Amino acid sequence: MPIRLSKIDDLTRPDHTFIEAADECLYLGEYTARKGYQFSDTNNLIFNLKKPMDRRGQPGWNYKRRAVEKAGRQLREALDALNPKWLSIATLVPMPPSKVKSDPMYDDRLMQMLQVLGTGLQLDIREIISQRESTEAAHSTEVRPRVDELCDNYVIEESLVDPAPRVIGVIDDVLTTGSHFKAAQRLLRSRFPAVNIYGIFVARRVPDSGDIINF
Amino acid sequence: MPTDYALESPGSLMRAVSPFREMGAYEALWSEVKASFKWMADKFREHPGAVPSDFVPDETAAEYAKKTVATLAGAGVAHFGIRVHGAGEYPMKLRVADHPVELLYFQGWWDLVESRGIAVVGTRTPSAQSVARTRRLVRSLVDDKLTVVSGLAKGIDTIAHLTAIEHGGRTIAVIGTPLSVRYPKENSELQEQVAKDFLVISQVPVVRYDRPNPTENRIFFPERNITMSALTEATIIVEAGETSGTLIQARHALKQKKKLFILESNFHNPSLKWPHRFEQMGAIRVRGYEDIQKHLADPPLQD
Repeated sequence: MPIRLSKIDDLTRPDHTFIEAADECLYLGEYTARKGYQFSDTNNLIFNLKKPMDRRGQPGWNYKRRAVEKAGRQLREALDALNPKWLSIATLVPMPPSKVKSDPMYDDRLMQMLQVLGTGLQLDIREIISQRESTEAAHSTEVRPRVDELCDNYVIEESLVDPAPRVIGVIDDVLTTGSHFKAAQRLLRSRFPAVNIYGIFVARRVPDSGDIINF
Repeated sequence: MPTDYALESPGSLMRAVSPFREMGAYEALWSEVKASFKWMADKFREHPGAVPSDFVPDETAAEYAKKTVATLAGAGVAHFGIRVHGAGEYPMKLRVADHPVELLYFQGWWDLVESRGIAVVGTRTPSAQSVARTRRLVRSLVDDKLTVVSGLAKGIDTIAHLTAIEHGGRTIAVIGTPLSVRYPKENSELQEQVAKDFLVISQVPVVRYDRPNPTENRIFFPERNITMSALTEATIIVEAGETSGTLIQARHALKQKKKLFILESNFHNPSLKWPHRFEQMGAIRVRGYEDIQKHLADPPLQD
């Protein structure tokens, strides 16, 4: 039986500073690694998924590809189990990678994950949000950017806004403070005010679980 | 009853698991007079794929969830998590238990539950030799990078947790009370430390436990031993009397096809019959740590 998606609620919302009661954020697992522990499936999955691009070609690089496939497959199964019709009407919007396309560290793992997720389906996947400039990856900075600053750095790709979506799923790998999701939600809402927006994550991160990746 | 898909609007993902609601629903189910782990497990066996909220109205679940959070907060437990069967992170190894729990509470670092864990259990009133043996055993387990799992009771359990921590190892406490209760009182600080730096797990319902008849809460102790066995690769008994609750864990460890180790000294106590009985059933006699090491090196049994 596939794992059901969980949602952020009264019990877990305090872990994600920017998420509000009306936000609908769903996730498969929890990222809880600390002290370098890497025992659970989810912690391994996230660790491999986020492996930085400059590790390409080094031992263990193929784990990244496997993690992308596993995450895509699990999200597909979980979404189908929750509501078999949802994927056929939803528009899926990946969070923009922290580096722009010209940057050597540019990582399009979310697009790859969505391609796995959509295997055999005609999914509506649109990179509606892009970044003006590269930013430090959220997991490697001490100070996390606020929603306003993030929003200023996001642009709507005008060529991708038609037809208007019926329901949107903003896709990301890890829900941390929720600032990136809130920035994306604000931008999308300004363009599509009547459309329901879900945040869909591979995992939520439990605070104090240390740096997500510190090689 | 499990929700009818046809009633769901195509754009809705309403049925995602809400940990808060599931916790409340589990607590509400436990408030029923006939509730027991068997009754609960039977209910879910009849409805595969169900979660607690499938059996409880939303308002009732919300009411119990608030009560649970308030009780825990009142006891100083501000941050805790739950695991529910069917959602992410639920440890599937629990399903080998006779009446696997559908929901459990935890404090601390969940990741540890997936590490290789060995249960070290025994009497609340150990001899000086047993205390020394427990210390030596736990240090060896820690050196082999194994997580030491016990029940936070007086005696052997306490020595097992403390030695693991002192020796720089990892430990998990599977307790027989809700997270809101520190038992026994003298282990209050230890429970807090394990919750903060390691992992405390409880399957005991918070609201039900508060009911006026405390003797009925005794049922939770043996059930915790069954869960402890299910969560670990093997159980080691250091010292136990003929009527000890530890023997429940011994029985279930074998039933769950886990390894059961019994320290040699138990076989030399003429007043004990259980060591011989369990040896005949498949338990392993331990003369030195190598006996444990040798058997743990075998690939874990597949269920």
